[in-house]
Amino acid sequence: MATRRLTRKEQMQQAILYPVDWLEERSGLVGAVKYFLFRKVPGDTNWFQTLGSATLTAFIVQALTGTILAMYYKPDPTIDPRTKLPVAYESMQHITNDLWAGWLVRGMHRWGASVFIILMFMHMGRVFLFGAYKYPRELNWIIGVLLLAMGLGEGFTGYLLPWDQTSYWATVVGVNLNGTAPFLGPFLAQFLNGGTYINGDTLSRFYAIHMLMIPGAIAALIGLHLYLVIRLGVTSPPWSKEAAGTGPLDGRAPNGKVGRAGLSRFRRGR
Amino acid sequence: MTEPHDDHPHVPGPSLWPVGFAVGIVVLLVGVIISWWVAGLGALIALAFAFLWVRDLTAGTALAHAPEVAPETGGAAAAEEPAAAIHEEAEERYPRSKFLELSTLGLGGVIGGIVTAPAIGFMVAPAFLKQGQKDHDLGPISDFPEGKYVIATYMADKSQGEVSRRTAFVRYNGQLKGQPSFTIISNHCAHLGCPVQANGPLDEKNTKTFGDVTLIPTVSIAGFGCPCHGGQYNTEGNRIAGPPVRALDRYAFSIRNGRLFIGKPFSVSHVDGAGSSAVIHKWTFSFPGEHVNGLESWLYPIQPPH
Amino acid sequence: MATDRITERRRIFKQYKEDVEERGKPFYPFAMFHDTVMSLVVVCVITGLAIVWKYSTPGDHIGTDPGWLGKLYDDPADPGTFSFVPRPDWYFYFLFYLLRIFKWPDTVVIGTVGLPTVLLVILIAVPFIDVRPERRLLRRPVAIVASILVVVSMGVLTYKGATAKESLGTELVAKVPDWAKTQGFSGNQQALGGAKLFAESGCLNCHTYLGLGGGFAGAPDLSAEGAKNKGIDFQIRHLENPAGVNPGSPMPSFQGLGTANLKKLATFLEASKGGK
Repeated sequence: MATRRLTRKEQMQQAILYPVDWLEERSGLVGAVKYFLFRKVPGDTNWFQTLGSATLTAFIVQALTGTILAMYYKPDPTIDPRTKLPVAYESMQHITNDLWAGWLVRGMHRWGASVFIILMFMHMGRVFLFGAYKYPRELNWIIGVLLLAMGLGEGFTGYLLPWDQTSYWATVVGVNLNGTAPFLGPFLAQFLNGGTYINGDTLSRFYAIHMLMIPGAIAALIGLHLYLVIRLGVTSPPWSKEAAGTGPLDGRAPNGKVGRAGLSRFRRGR
Repeated sequence: MTEPHDDHPHVPGPSLWPVGFAVGIVVLLVGVIISWWVAGLGALIALAFAFLWVRDLTAGTALAHAPEVAPETGGAAAAEEPAAAIHEEAEERYPRSKFLELSTLGLGGVIGGIVTAPAIGFMVAPAFLKQGQKDHDLGPISDFPEGKYVIATYMADKSQGEVSRRTAFVRYNGQLKGQPSFTIISNHCAHLGCPVQANGPLDEKNTKTFGDVTLIPTVSIAGFGCPCHGGQYNTEGNRIAGPPVRALDRYAFSIRNGRLFIGKPFSVSHVDGAGSSAVIHKWTFSFPGEHVNGLESWLYPIQPPH
Repeated sequence: MATDRITERRRIFKQYKEDVEERGKPFYPFAMFHDTVMSLVVVCVITGLAIVWKYSTPGDHIGTDPGWLGKLYDDPADPGTFSFVPRPDWYFYFLFYLLRIFKWPDTVVIGTVGLPTVLLVILIAVPFIDVRPERRLLRRPVAIVASILVVVSMGVLTYKGATAKESLGTELVAKVPDWAKTQGFSGNQQALGGAKLFAESGCLNCHTYLGLGGGFAGAPDLSAEGAKNKGIDFQIRHLENPAGVNPGSPMPSFQGLGTANLKKLATFLEASKGGK
């Protein structure tokens, strides 16, 4: 209940913010986004800690380019009688050679895969060296390892899709590698192939796994991973003099060291 | 939200009469189109339920059941109680809720089963059912010179097309007890399935092609080698060097009207002897990399249907 | 003991939360700025690689000729091929090379699934193996040693997987004129015929010659075989029965090639003096 008239500036602000307030009252989403953006993180976070979001960016690039490639790619290994080439191979050539910017989107998807995997390994290494897998972030680490395994699985299933010689034979060897696992190996290999050998259904199978099953699982796990990061917070670098978790700063000498009296609290590390 | 009042408008108790009346009207209308007997039946049903409904409505102010009052008086208090206490209260007041809980979970399980069981079965089963292939004609026996290997490629399943193309090394060994003897070796390495090469020059000028079959004779070969990890096999398919875990797989074959028909593959641990007098130690077809005999074969006790 | 550890952990985490509330900075714009810059770098790298991949392909920038970043695509899949050497994508090279290390048949399953599975299980279990709250690197010697070992071994395995050589008969035959020029036997018909046989008969599956070949099973390099002057008769005898001439040799017999072909091969070997 305003007791005075709003200034022109305040009136304009209210008008602009009206849709935002409308959305917030009905969904609470704006509040959630604000919480995410303006939450406090330790002030001494390091450039190494950008690797996680860099990996997410690489995944988003993959998801976008992959979805768009799916509009032009045909997962069909049968031979086109007109050109005597497999239809899948032809559609890949069509994308690479004929379509406008097709070569760019396909190239981004193919090299994005490599960048995604490199970044995952670097992010994993950073988390390991920072000790950021320790209490209470153990669950996040496990989710991360699962994400790594699924990322490699995406690489393996996606490699078959161009249906050229390298694709086909690398997949034969890869499936047979799985087949050497004890007891269930032969069943796993036959399940992946869709039969005893690679056959007419194998390409569709790998396509469905690559496009739908694994990305669905990755998206869900990324959601969980991010939720845990927001909930549990980001660690300070372990070498930081003012690492979060070491207590208030005012009891310290200028060089950051703590006086003897307070030492016992920190003897077992941060 | 309005508070519950004592003088809230009279709401009739729950009843099935209106439903019955509606059913009667529907039957009547359908009967008007189908048959007058059905229409008459519908009219009777509608009249009967209408009578019961009206009688119910005019039976004076009906006493509301206890369960109807409870949610309204208990509602304000329930908001402050933790969910578990509400649950317990609910159980005491609604003795059927336990049954409803169980049946919700049970029915949910049934729904889940109906949706996922066929879907998961469809994902897994076709890989294991109806495997195996029909015999394929590779040409007259005269196309295969005695003692020399011929590289034969053919489509194992024409309906699948090129994706079912296979390669085999075929050698005619002459006659064995009056029957033609062939050595037919698969070109999938027994280590991890890479394509195996013939170690020797090919006689590509005399290549024969008919239908989907191509036959390339070799001049003479000293064995087979796999370029992937250095596996080497002798001319009978026995492993002589490298990581392959057994001999190369072989194909069964049959002769019809003087023509060679290639059949199903099987795995081989080793071969004694050579040519038509070779003794082939035969095992169920297994994927590359799996031992078929010896201690490590216990890692693969059951093979899926091939 | 355990409850002490649990209480201590919770205390440290509670302290962490308090410190962040007190002296932390809002995620936006401070940390998000770093993230955005890094994401821009990532997107530029991906796009740059895609552009280089296409435009370093020779000619019209289409087709199967490799550029700086490899081929745009290979020939179409041929399930009946008998002359192709498969390679996985580069991030699987460490597994690929592991297969070459475990080359005895009884150890194959260790390289294919044994070792990778064990390592994956250890990776998942890391937070349960290391339960100390200590995060400072200098006080975590096991972590430092483990990470250096992992990085170095995966790097070495990946590099060796990338440079691993294989031999492909059809490609090798095209090399014969180059070999003849390097070794100086271009005029010798027998040696030329022998060189062609050498390329076709799978010799380079195990041996190496002038930088090509597999180099497996202890097979020696043959680029300078002729310089040892063992003589054509010795070479023929060895090719017919390698284990007889050289006990313990895993090399198979090549007498199936026939005497005329063996003579050509022997001439070629004796003419291979090591090149200039």
